[in-house]
Amino acid sequence: MTGAVAIAAVSEMKPARYPDKDGHALYIEVVRQLLAEWHLKPGDIQGLLACPAGMAGGGSADIFVHEQLYEELGIHPLYGDTMNAGGATYGYMVQRAAVAIRQGLADSVLCIGAGKFPKVSTGGAELMARMVSHEAFEFPYGTFIPAIYAQVATRHMYEFGTTAEQFAEVAVSSREWALRNPQAATYGTEPLTVAKVRASRPIATPFHLYDCSIPLEGGAAILVANESVAKRIARQPAWLLGMGEYHSHRNIHQAADLKDIGCGRAGRMAYERAGLGPGDMQFAQIYDAFSVNPLVFMEELGLCPRGKGGAFFASGAARPGGNFPVNTYGGLLSFGHTGDASGLSMIVEGARQVMGVAGDRQLPRADIGVVHSYGGMMSEHSTLILGRQS
Amino acid sequence: MNDTTIPAKPLPKMTPGAEHYWQSATREQFVLPHCKACAKVFFYPRVWCPQCLGQELDWVHASGRGVVYSFSVVHQAPFPAYRGDVPYVLAVIELAEGPRMMANVLHCDPATVRVGMPVEVTFEDRGEMKIPQFQPAPFLRRTSRPWPQ
Repeated sequence: MTGAVAIAAVSEMKPARYPDKDGHALYIEVVRQLLAEWHLKPGDIQGLLACPAGMAGGGSADIFVHEQLYEELGIHPLYGDTMNAGGATYGYMVQRAAVAIRQGLADSVLCIGAGKFPKVSTGGAELMARMVSHEAFEFPYGTFIPAIYAQVATRHMYEFGTTAEQFAEVAVSSREWALRNPQAATYGTEPLTVAKVRASRPIATPFHLYDCSIPLEGGAAILVANESVAKRIARQPAWLLGMGEYHSHRNIHQAADLKDIGCGRAGRMAYERAGLGPGDMQFAQIYDAFSVNPLVFMEELGLCPRGKGGAFFASGAARPGGNFPVNTYGGLLSFGHTGDASGLSMIVEGARQVMGVAGDRQLPRADIGVVHSYGGMMSEHSTLILGRQS
Repeated sequence: MNDTTIPAKPLPKMTPGAEHYWQSATREQFVLPHCKACAKVFFYPRVWCPQCLGQELDWVHASGRGVVYSFSVVHQAPFPAYRGDVPYVLAVIELAEGPRMMANVLHCDPATVRVGMPVEVTFEDRGEMKIPQFQPAPFLRRTSRPWPQ
């Protein structure tokens, strides 16, 4: 399969609580912002992929959301679907869109999501635990999403001597970036320190409150396009150089190896298809429901040596001015986690850095970067390599 | 709110191929599914073997021994049924027979739980059922603080 494909336009709401907007109203707001920012015409959207937003609906899913959206847009797509793979949904949308575009099914595909993170303290924790853990062999043991992620953290501590303070460093680094991003939920707040993270309320060892992403609402849209459409819409498109996908498990106790949870397998495929390696990457955007993810996935993606993720974040290399920036928009830890739409945020930022439109946080070197997202309990993985030259 | 009643903990949902597992647990027997075709002992029970997809399955009596593969001490109750349990240990146990399963590590101070710690099966009442759980294995029990029950 050949043919250059790029992310030609991106737009994202600021994560917040939007009590006056239901899931559908959030979708409409995302589309409205995209159209306003990029002046798209009806012919610019030939395909549409949307997410059913099951968390926003309290576990129910709007399985016809793409139909409603294309009707409201007044377009008749040649390619369309509603799909869900949790946080990996949008990485997979970009991958599906790229395949469709290279096959000539459509010149462009709009990938879109909006979501509401359920309120954890009022039933949200139970709702989500039921959604993500086996109803017979996990949920009866009192599953809790932070404690599920903590299995990976505890095992990493055991195998490599990683410390709780090193996980906290990930949250500190993310906050540094969020303070440079007016769209981040924590913009205008105070910097974090390791001591502040460790002094925050204990949730599930080794995680304290600030090791956890911030539950909010929002949404975003990404227009994936072929070369002619991309060049017409964007001065500098973010070319899709490589992509990889790997589905490991659903339930955390079924993961074959908690330090090789599927991220690296998707990553290796993406590097290979791009004809590049980890050493060619200049930044990474890594899905971070908890502080553990960027630390372990830096290793899985080959961006730092095995067992050295903790030392990498403690060195400050991921922070502004560091030699390998990570989650330059603040991550879900400090930008905010928009529930079903959260898997868009790191793709939007990866594209913005490559497109050179990242504002005050624009990296001096953003020619090639890697964007990793996953769905479920680190169950299924998507890696995208984005670059300035097709 | 002064509501001090704590709801019952959830019961496992009955899933295809797992009925015998739960019936055995309720009799305080810990069994694992075994594939007659490829001899794989696996977890969790289902109607085919995840190694060869064979459907000729039977059950083996498991040793009930294992080690803690990983764990977390939960400090915030995820739902009301666990309000009286925090802090509690949510763990992945690696069984002596090979497969891993989720369980709580009971009958010990959560702060003493470690990766690699030997554990043995125990059974917790859940209404009319019992579910497999784990506790520190006996030789550890002698070297550490006294255990309730």
